[in-house]
Amino acid sequence: MAVLSILDREHTVAPPGYSRWLIPPAALAVHLCIGQAYATSVYKTSMVKHFDSSQTAVGVVFSIAIVMLGLSAAVGGTWVERNGPRKAMFVAACFWASGFLVGALGIGTGQLWLVYLGYGVIGGIGLGIGYISPVSTLIKWFPDRPGLATGLAIMGFGGGALVASPLSRQLLGLYDSGYDPNVSTSVAGGGALVGLFLTLGIGYFVIMMFGVFNIRVPADGWAPAGFDSSAVRQKTLVTTGNVSAANAIKTPQFWLLWVVLFCNVTAGIGILEQASPMIQDFFRGDGVTGGKSSVAVAAAAGFVGLLSIFNMAGRFGWSSTSDLIGRKPIYAMYLGVGIIAYTLLASIGDSSTVVFVLLAAVIISFYGGGFATVPAYLRDLFGTYQVGAIHGRLLTAWSAAGIAGPLIINGFLDREGKPGTLTASAYRPALFTMVGVLAVGFVANLLIRSVSERFHEKSESTLEAAS
Amino acid sequence: MNQTPRLVISWLLVAVLLGYGVIETLITAAKIFTE
Repeated sequence: MAVLSILDREHTVAPPGYSRWLIPPAALAVHLCIGQAYATSVYKTSMVKHFDSSQTAVGVVFSIAIVMLGLSAAVGGTWVERNGPRKAMFVAACFWASGFLVGALGIGTGQLWLVYLGYGVIGGIGLGIGYISPVSTLIKWFPDRPGLATGLAIMGFGGGALVASPLSRQLLGLYDSGYDPNVSTSVAGGGALVGLFLTLGIGYFVIMMFGVFNIRVPADGWAPAGFDSSAVRQKTLVTTGNVSAANAIKTPQFWLLWVVLFCNVTAGIGILEQASPMIQDFFRGDGVTGGKSSVAVAAAAGFVGLLSIFNMAGRFGWSSTSDLIGRKPIYAMYLGVGIIAYTLLASIGDSSTVVFVLLAAVIISFYGGGFATVPAYLRDLFGTYQVGAIHGRLLTAWSAAGIAGPLIINGFLDREGKPGTLTASAYRPALFTMVGVLAVGFVANLLIRSVSERFHEKSESTLEAAS
Repeated sequence: MNQTPRLVISWLLVAVLLGYGVIETLITAAKIFTE
């Protein structure tokens, strides 16, 4: 189809003088939309009531989406590299929007399996392709500041939940007069859920199209004014060659970085997944006060929101900092200081809400920073040739951590007692386990060395493509 | 090639979306220390 040829990589090469500062907002247009995946808890209770099902049955929708994210990023990474960011973003927008539309059909007809297929499978593919689509393009536009560039985009994924949570509540209130957006226990009807899914699907498609038409790849040989590539390559671990995605997964560096990401995400998800009940449990009185928490439900929701802001800020702030101090040192900080923060949280976290919130904020900022810095770390180790595809394969660590993190936390908490009766001491075994997980990641990061030259691509065409 | 309008609109879209999210979240987050 000739019309769709404008999506091809060769039609997206930037003309001379094209501003590279148009690329981050194009990437953000995609990531701000797909970041909605972290805001599904807003309508979870309404879905449970509408389908008359369990929390677990509805929670599976999110789990399917995250698993599909990892799988589609891993499988589709090479396709994204070959076809360019514009086509990838367009495909991601189609999948993401279709996921909402099919999901709306499922809600409207009372068929939960259609929501699994729509939001979970179809939307999940949009998540994976959308997540990796702008990454290698940003790295090529910002060879001098790859951490800042990818931090900006991946910050959008964290920010997407900040936008989607209040927006979803307000839309549900608009479509259902009986729903109160200011009451966390309020439940919306099926019609409002259908309206929400249709609105989000169409709205996200329009915003993602903004990214589709603004994204450009730099012309061959382009470099920012005053950029000295030899200065960048003198930094520790920064490669002078290019490694294909197929070869990258044969290197110990890829798997060490997989372990680093897995450990960092597992530890962060442990807090994120349990944030609201955790702050209430940490400040729950003993038998004398009747086991009542001094932190109200509304305040706990505020804590979750605050963590989202630190998650987003960490993505941009720490990833940008990595351009100055290097990727390996900053991961040593995420994991090393994370060990200290987790230990303090377990031991003195219940001394005051200020101490608890500060420690949790530091941990979550490192969680976000770990996500945003990893594409630049991959660029340093494997070059720019297929960095998007390698990133896609590495994101399987995210899927694995998405299963391991909640399993560790919930596994320990289930043994300590029933929800609503737990106190700070019940969390200590889980938190100290996370200290151990972070220590494994810390050691894996220390073991990362430059990639052997035998994995580097040799052909001229490859090097041209990389340039 | 004057790209200023395109740059302004692009970043404005991002600022409006993120600004809305951050302000709404901060309003909710303030309840940690007030309730």
